[in-house]
Amino acid sequence: MGFPRLLSRIWDAIASFTRPPNAATLFRRADLYRQEGRFEEAAELVAQGLRLAPNNGVGHLLSAYLHLAFRQIGPAKSEFQSVLQVDPYHPRALLGLAKIALEERDLAACRPFLDKALQYYPDFPEARALQEMVAGWATTVAAPGQQPAYAGPPIHVEKLKPPAGGREFVLTQADGTLVFSQHGDKDAEDLAAHVTQVYRIASATLQRAGLGALRRGIVQAATETSFFRSNDRLILALSFPQDVKIGFGLLETDKLWTNSLRELGMRA
Amino acid sequence: MSPEPTVPARSARAREFRRILAEMLKIDRVRGGLVVAADGLVIAASLPRGIAVEPMAALAASLGRELEVGADRLKRTPFQAALFSADNGTVFLGSSPVGFVVVLGDREVNVGLVQWALRKALATLEGAWGTPAHLPASPEEM
Repeated sequence: MGFPRLLSRIWDAIASFTRPPNAATLFRRADLYRQEGRFEEAAELVAQGLRLAPNNGVGHLLSAYLHLAFRQIGPAKSEFQSVLQVDPYHPRALLGLAKIALEERDLAACRPFLDKALQYYPDFPEARALQEMVAGWATTVAAPGQQPAYAGPPIHVEKLKPPAGGREFVLTQADGTLVFSQHGDKDAEDLAAHVTQVYRIASATLQRAGLGALRRGIVQAATETSFFRSNDRLILALSFPQDVKIGFGLLETDKLWTNSLRELGMRA
Repeated sequence: MSPEPTVPARSARAREFRRILAEMLKIDRVRGGLVVAADGLVIAASLPRGIAVEPMAALAASLGRELEVGADRLKRTPFQAALFSADNGTVFLGSSPVGFVVVLGDREVNVGLVQWALRKALATLEGAWGTPAHLPASPEEM
């Protein structure tokens, strides 16, 4: 190799270290960081990349993912929409918007996003799993004030008294219809909607794992522990203060469950 | 065709996720588990043959998000851990800054032991991102 060529190669090597990376390089590196759970570093690189290439679809998609990872739903939605402006059938952006619609309990918006994503990419496992899950939902969880009315046998409230320490007791049907609640109307509807949605998604997750239909659940938070009990038609949720003994909570939930089934004339 | 293949994670943090998952998988009757970001990205996974990773991750992330969003709507404190049982086993779910740790146990799984190990894993993840969470010394103290 001649001296000029050697000099040229050395110069190129030095330049590659000192030259600022282009947008594609930044996005590639950001995606690797994201897949390693290094979201803050990834977000910084994506922001740099989008300054260089403001209309880059990959950059906006990564930005949307990172907003979701940080639980920033509004900005994530707007970034997914930016991707769709570049490519209206981008399956990942459509899936992202479907997931956000699901979180917002807007099934009417969720379904078309999933259908469109699968229209061009029928073998898209995440979208297919969500589509199969929501397909089984007879109706969307109704908006506050629009809950379908319970039309079953009359309930004797005194027989459904939650135990000492028990709170936020709610009974709903699997379609989201509120059967009974310890709370006032508005809070009861919100709680019933949440309980129904948890039941539906947890059921789909258990079925996907090959474990069967949801029977029990426990959700632990900093200030309360909630217990779920369900069969194919009815869901019960009951909360206790966080320091409740799990055994006590399960026992009391079971008692209330048995009483509820008896009151509604259902078999266990 | 899947629209976008996943690339294996490489960093120390990614190794830590895999280590946490490996610890969970050592528990008797645990069949599998995964670490999934809130956007559904699979960060680490080990599931039994026959259970596809991406669909499971999509559903688990949706479940985790509903627990987070629902708590927020109801003005409750954020959920930390949850379990959902069926006739043939249990799905455990823990919330962390990076997303959700998911563990699948069969019907004979020691629920208390998995809950404790999950809390331990979540405390490790919390430690990597910020203030370490309080952890009971043993499963019996939970």
